[in-house]
Order: sequence, then C-alpha cells, then structure tokens
Amino acid sequence: MQRVGVFICWCGTNISSTVNIDEVVAAVKNMPGVVYSKDYQYMCSEVGQNLVKDAIKEHNLTRVVVAACSPRMHESTFRKAAKAAGLNPYLLEIANIREHCSWVHKDKKAATQKAISLTKAAVAKAILNQPLIPGEVGVEQRALVIGGGIAGIQTALDIADAGYEVDLVEKTPSIGGKMAQLDKTFPTLDCSACILTPKMVDASMHDKINIYSYSEVEEVNGFVGNFEVVIKQKARSIDMEKCTGCGICLAKCPAKTALSEFEEGLSKRAAIYTPFPQAVPNVPVIDRETCTKFRTGKCGVCAKVCPTGAIDYEQKDERLNQKYGAIIVTTGYDLINLDSFGEYQYADHPDVITGLEFERLVNAAGPTAGKLVRPSDKKKPKKVVFIQCVGSRDKSERGKSYCSKICCMYTAKHAMLLRDKYPDCEAYVFYIDVRTAGKGFEEFQRRAVENYGVNYIKGMVGKIFPTGDKLKVNGVDALSGEVLEIDADMVVLASATQAKPGASDVGRMLSISTDRDNFFTEAHPKLRPVETHCAGIYLAGACQGPKDIPETVAQASAAAAKAIGILSKSKLVNNPCVSQVDESVCSGCLACTKMCPYEAITEKMVEQKVHGKIRRRRVAEVNAALCQGCGGCTVTCRPGAIDLKGFSNKQILAEVDAICQ
Amino acid sequence: MEKIKEEIRQIAREALTGKKVDIILAWEKGPLWYDSYPAFFTKEEEVDSLTWDSFCINNLSKYLLEETMADKKVGVFVKGCDALAFNQMMQDNRIRRDNVVVYGLPCPGMIDPDKVRAKRLNRGLTEVKQSGDELIFVTKDGEITVPAHEVYYDKCLYCHYPNPVVYDQLIGEKVAAETALDRSERFSQVEALEALSAEERFAYWDSQFSKCMRCFACRNVCPACSCERCTFDDDDLDILGKAREDSEDQFFHLIRAYHVVGRCIDCGECSRVCPQDIPLEKLNRKLIKDINALYGEYQAGLDPSTKAPLVTYQLEDADSFTAGEKGGKGT
Repeated sequence: MQRVGVFICWCGTNISSTVNIDEVVAAVKNMPGVVYSKDYQYMCSEVGQNLVKDAIKEHNLTRVVVAACSPRMHESTFRKAAKAAGLNPYLLEIANIREHCSWVHKDKKAATQKAISLTKAAVAKAILNQPLIPGEVGVEQRALVIGGGIAGIQTALDIADAGYEVDLVEKTPSIGGKMAQLDKTFPTLDCSACILTPKMVDASMHDKINIYSYSEVEEVNGFVGNFEVVIKQKARSIDMEKCTGCGICLAKCPAKTALSEFEEGLSKRAAIYTPFPQAVPNVPVIDRETCTKFRTGKCGVCAKVCPTGAIDYEQKDERLNQKYGAIIVTTGYDLINLDSFGEYQYADHPDVITGLEFERLVNAAGPTAGKLVRPSDKKKPKKVVFIQCVGSRDKSERGKSYCSKICCMYTAKHAMLLRDKYPDCEAYVFYIDVRTAGKGFEEFQRRAVENYGVNYIKGMVGKIFPTGDKLKVNGVDALSGEVLEIDADMVVLASATQAKPGASDVGRMLSISTDRDNFFTEAHPKLRPVETHCAGIYLAGACQGPKDIPETVAQASAAAAKAIGILSKSKLVNNPCVSQVDESVCSGCLACTKMCPYEAITEKMVEQKVHGKIRRRRVAEVNAALCQGCGGCTVTCRPGAIDLKGFSNKQILAEVDAICQ
Repeated sequence: MEKIKEEIRQIAREALTGKKVDIILAWEKGPLWYDSYPAFFTKEEEVDSLTWDSFCINNLSKYLLEETMADKKVGVFVKGCDALAFNQMMQDNRIRRDNVVVYGLPCPGMIDPDKVRAKRLNRGLTEVKQSGDELIFVTKDGEITVPAHEVYYDKCLYCHYPNPVVYDQLIGEKVAAETALDRSERFSQVEALEALSAEERFAYWDSQFSKCMRCFACRNVCPACSCERCTFDDDDLDILGKAREDSEDQFFHLIRAYHVVGRCIDCGECSRVCPQDIPLEKLNRKLIKDINALYGEYQAGLDPSTKAPLVTYQLEDADSFTAGEKGGKGT
C-alpha cells in the first residue's frame, strides 16, 4: 500500500479565489491511499517546498501529489524537492488546478468539485507511478543554422565565437537576406549594407562557420544533441574552388532576360549571376531556367570567357549528411502578394511600388544607382503617397490580422529619405495608427513630421485612379472627415509581412509547430521565446513573427546562447518517460513503427519457447534515445503491448476511473 | 467440386510424400451433413479423408499462425475470402510467407445450413452435388435440385473475390466474379441504422449487445484478430470483468470493431459464428463505409503491400475533426 501525501497550493488568490481550498483538503483526506495533506499559500516558495520535503521524511510518504499550477511551470521544482527528500522524482504527480480549473472557471462550487476530481485522478495515477531513472546520451558539438539572413548570420557568429562548429544553410546564392536589400536602417539611418556586410564577411572568414549557400535542408531526423540532417546543395554549375569571382561571365552572358530577385524585379539580371556585388560567397550561379546553354544546348559563352575554367555545366545536386547537436531556424519572412488589393493598382501600374522596391530605388547600388525616379518614365516625382497597413491588421480573407510591426518605422524612414533627396517633393502618409514602440523610434517618427514636414493623414485610401501620368489617390482624413484626392506621382505600399510560403513544410520536417499565420511557435510567449516545443530546435528572427532588425539580432543571440547551452554539454539527460515494448505480448504488426513520428521504433526477430516448441516471430523495439514520449504508439497498439513509462495505459485508466467514480 | 476434391487430395499427397511441406491444412468431413471442418494432415494415408464441398466455410488462414512460427512448412488451401485473410495476416506480420505454400481454390459459394433447414432439405440428406448454378440435394427420398443462390450464405452472394487474390498454385478454373446481389447493398443496412436517431440507434445496439455472452467466438474466428495476447485477455487491465454487465458488453464490441477497422476483410465470419446472432457485420461495414468515405475505397487484404489507411498519414487526408469536413457530423 502506497502512502500518498497531497499538497494543495492556493497560488495566492489565483486558485483560492475560485476553489474552496478547505473543501479540497477535506475531500483529499478520504481519498484512497492518502495519509497526509497540507495546503499553503505558495507551495512553490522555499517554505512550501520544505513542507513537501519534511512531510516525505516525517510521514514516510512513498508518493506525492501537488495540486497547483501547470506541470509546465513547477513540476521540475517539486521533483527536485522530492529528490532532495530521498524520493524518486518520478513518483511525484502534479494536479493542475490552476490553468485547468481556477483560471478557466467562475462558479466556485463547480470549480471546487473539479479541483477535487483532478486531485483524485492525480492520486490514483501517483499510486501506480514507478520510479524512473533517466539515461544519458552524447551530444554532437555542431550547430545547424537554417537561413542566412541577419538572424542566421548573427546566430552562427555567436555560436562559432563560443568555439563550436556551425553550418549555415542558405537557400539563395548568397547570405544576407532581406537586410542586404535595404538602403538605410531606422532609427539611425545608417546604411544597411555598411553594417551588414562586415558581419557577412566575418561569417565567411570564420574558421568555425561553413556556409552552404544555394542549399536547402531536405531531411531532419534524430533528436536533441543528435539530429541527423540531409542538406541538398543545388547544382551551382560553377566550381566554387576554381571561381575567383572576377565577374567576367556576368558581363558577357547574353541571356539577360530574368528579373533580378534581389532588385525586386525592378531590373534584369543575366542567367549567370551573383545577386549583388557584396554577395557571400562571391561565386555566381547559373539559373538553368533562363540560361541559353541549358535551354538550347548552344551558347557556352561563360565557359569560354572564364579565365579559370570554373564553369561546370555537368554539375549535379549533391546531398550531404551531417549530424548536429542543435538547430536554429532563421528562415525569415516575405511580403504578401498584392494581387487581391486591386484598388491600389499595384499589379497594373509601375509607379505603385512596395516598400521593399522603394528601398532598391533609393539605394546607390540599386537599379537607378540611387536616383529616385518613377519606374514608368524615369521622371523625378513631385508628390509621393505612402499607404501603411496594406494587408496588415486586416481581418478579411486577403489580409493578415496581425501588425507587421516594421512598416510604421520604415515608412517614416522612406518619407524622410524622400524629403532629404528632394526637399520640394511632397510626402503624404496614410495610416491607421502610428506605432513606434522602440528605443528612439518615437523620436524618429516625430522628426519625419516636425523636421521633414511629412504630411501624416489618419485614414485609409479607398482607391487609386491612374489619370494621365498621375495617380489620383482617393482617401479620407478620418480626423476631419474630409475626402481627399491627391494627384500623386508615385505610391508606396507598406505591404504586410508574412511567413515564408514553405514555413509549414519546414515546420513539419523539424516537428515544430506553426501558428495560424504559419509563423513558428515559440515554446512560451514570454518565458521561452526562442525555444520550440522540440528540444534542441530554436527560433530567431521574423520566421517566428514580424520583427525589426534590433529585435531579430537580439533574438538571434538569445537562440545562440540556448544552442551553446546544449553544445557545451558532453552528455544530455534523457527523458525517462519513453515507450517500452512487452515482447511477450507484441504481435509484431508494426503499426507503431508506421505511426511513430520520430522513427524511434524498429522491428526485430525473437525466439520464444512455448510448451517446448521454439517460435520465431517479429516484434517491435523502441530506441529510448529517439523516443520523445508522445504516446502515439500506445494508442495504436491493439493488444497494449507498448506502453509509455510514467503514463502507462493503466495509469491513464486509473485517472479516468477516479474522475468517473 | 467432386473432381477438384480428387485433385486436391492428389496435390496434398504429393506435397507430403515429396517433403515439399510438413503439414497440409485442409478440410475433413465430419459425421454431420454440414460438417466440413479444418484438419491438419501430416501423413499421406490421412489424406483420404480430406474433403472439398459446399460446406468448407471455415477459413484456414487463421490456423497458419502457430505453424509457420514454429518453422514448419505448411501447405494451405484458400478460398477467395481466405486469401484476403491470408494477405491481411501477412500485412500484420502474422504469417511467415516463406513457410507457406498457398493452393488457391476458386469458390462457387458456400451453403448456409440454416437455409437448408428452412427449406427442409436436410431430412435424410446424404450428399450435396453441384451442377452449374444448381445444387442437387441427395436424400433418402431422392434428389432435389435447387438454385444455388437460394441456399448460399448471404455473404457469399455479395462476394466480390471468389477467386483467391494470392496463391502459389491455382486449382481448377476461376469462377465468374459477378456478385449475385448488388455489392453496394452491403451498406444499405448500415444506412438504415445511420438514419435512426442517436437514441434509437443506442436502443438497437443495446438490445443486440445485451445478448452477448462473451464467448469470444467472433474474435477467435476473425483473421484480423491474431494478436499474441488479446487485450480482452489482459486480466491486469480491468476492462472486462467476469460478471455480465451491459456497459462491458458494449465496451467489448466497440473495441473489437475498432481494433479491426481498416483491417476487416468483410468475410462475415464473426456474425456467422455468433451463437446469439448479433449482426456484427453491420458494425464492421459501418467502419468500412467510413474508411471508404474518408480515405478512398479500400479493401483490406487485397494487396498486403498497400498502406493501411489508419496507420499511415498523408497530408491530403480528410480531417474529420474539423466541423464541416466530411466525416464529422457535428452533432
């Protein structure tokens, strides 16, 4: 017979205001197996923990139940307390009477009954708990960073500086990401490339960082400390060893038909290209879709002009298998497609552009060499209208319900850059709200209004009518109620940011979750902002939600610190709550192997002696290091041959019974 | 069938004498007219009692379980439905294929003794002969000829796979695979139940399940129920007590149905062997119908290499938990 002690926490008034603690204490005393119970205002405090420790010793408790907050908050606290008192930590059970009860109910009487039921279930389960001992597993001291934007670069640098090998995988031909496309950065207006390129160079020169550009992660298996990853290196058609980056091939290539991705389609590029002059690595790629040699078999100019013979039309995609201890996902964001925003004429009129296109138009290395002109007739604009929240804070089907966070600031920046270049050009900004929460942000935006004379209009634009060589912008000033019509030369749309289209596939590959907008979900919105629910996989940058550069960099360093925390250990402690197979019961149907998301279950042949006869048959086998304890296999197994330690079928049924009684 | 019986005996003899197999698994005629029960033959001389007639309803595949694991080489005769069962057991890794020689028997249909009794053809019955689509009942008082479909099992009239889908050697000619009854009608009884209100449906199943005496015949005959130890035999789990209890009877039948979902070949053996006439095929067919609707037409046992719908996940799988999607009724 087990001796159970039950400890009921008030959580200040968090629990006690909705749950009658005295009634719970009284009910607990009558539960089978309970020999001791105690309530306290803050069970997680040192005093509270000591109550648990002392009671275990004084009353010879063999099982402990703490009725308090979610086990995600304090399970480890109380397990440590139990361990300190000489009890196996897995003999302790938490009844969540806060998140599952007091916080979600108002009716005190019913909530009290529910708290009693939850505690009763925990007692029933605890009685069946078995002591568990965690195992240990080695750690591959190497990190994988997926995405080579500023987030990925910063994370890679921080981890490498701590002395660990880092592989940085970037899908496009160069690292740099969106930040490389920007002209100036708020709130200091320093040149984006000037602050980014040193970091790109640092990353490429770092002896601990390997950059796999023009590559993609294709497969991820394994678990924290031991991820097994397949990286696909797409055929660059250039021998990276031989190429010196002289650029003759780019100049001589006759197939200059493709729209430059880096220039947001505002100019064309050759079929053989490096996205931008400071690209890292400074080795071009051949775009096989537009290359004449690949399309027709005739051409080969680049191979003829290359002084080092680096062009290799025969190159194939290569696959690289590598092991990692930790993975950091920094896959960034995209802008939404504006096709469904017909009223702004983006698709139909060249002088209606996005903020990112504006960045290229004002950039000295951009398609106009920094001369801000209308894309249609290359004339200098006299009036420019900026429209904020295009698709952001828009609950309709075509928009995004969230705030894209960066647009208020970059629109202010754009307006200032415009007024700086052309003091005679008028700038109008249509906004819903101006949000400038950030160090120096409010001051920055006020400068746009007060020093640069940018006209801010609270209100939305209804429609844009191209009239002659003007864009007639019809809007409403929501403060005065006045209907406005502005004859603009150019319109800049602050289009909403969104998760990368492939984010949910990446999430599935990594077994990490995405929210309804396909941004990756952090483990806790406040307390574990860079961790995911999958141990050893971390997040940084705009793949987790809209973010500006300062925030992205801060998060990147945070994710790096988390990864270093894993890499610096030679061994990790396993979760002992893993599945195990009862071979005598297993029928070898192997349904569990098909359902296991971690590929932790394999098959093996066993020989059994039954009534003197040898029977040879197939059974399932769990790799405890791979098993994440999700329990999927246990519900798939018909005879109940596979069971999850710490959450056995019997324990779960005991809980259900306790609640139903 | 008489001719094929001789052929079967010959094959069995040769297999045993040639040491091609250690055991032949076939049927043997018992003392009663409807008795053709499963039998193991290990010696050539025993084969004389081997039979093949319109009463060989028993599915022999299930008997392979123990023998193939004991590393014995078994020759087994399978009808169409037995072949589906064989494949399903293969998919469940319950048969070691390299230890089995499969002899396929195209099956004209099997006689339901109840229908014979209803027609009072059993009085003084000595033999039943098959002649095309007719059956000749040889009795003491003479021969009576009836159309075969009048006395075949209902399930045989719906049968779409009378010819074995797996065999090493096929014996005799394949039979026409046209079903006597419209195969989609298999689900008409299910639809009738679906049309009832939840209360009516519960009352119906309550009345059926309360007849159960938990003899487990349905489980024991089922080719999808081949576990080493059935969960209902796990005394430790406390899900079925010894005493009769309505909720436990319901529990048993629902778990049984769910345990075979996606693996039930719809052979109908469970309801055939039920001494209380519980219409278990309706439960199974409800689940087959739902699987077909949710994951596309699927016939368990047709091909052991096909992925079973319930243990494989595909991105385009229906999400029946989302209201409005097919499957969930939201009531």
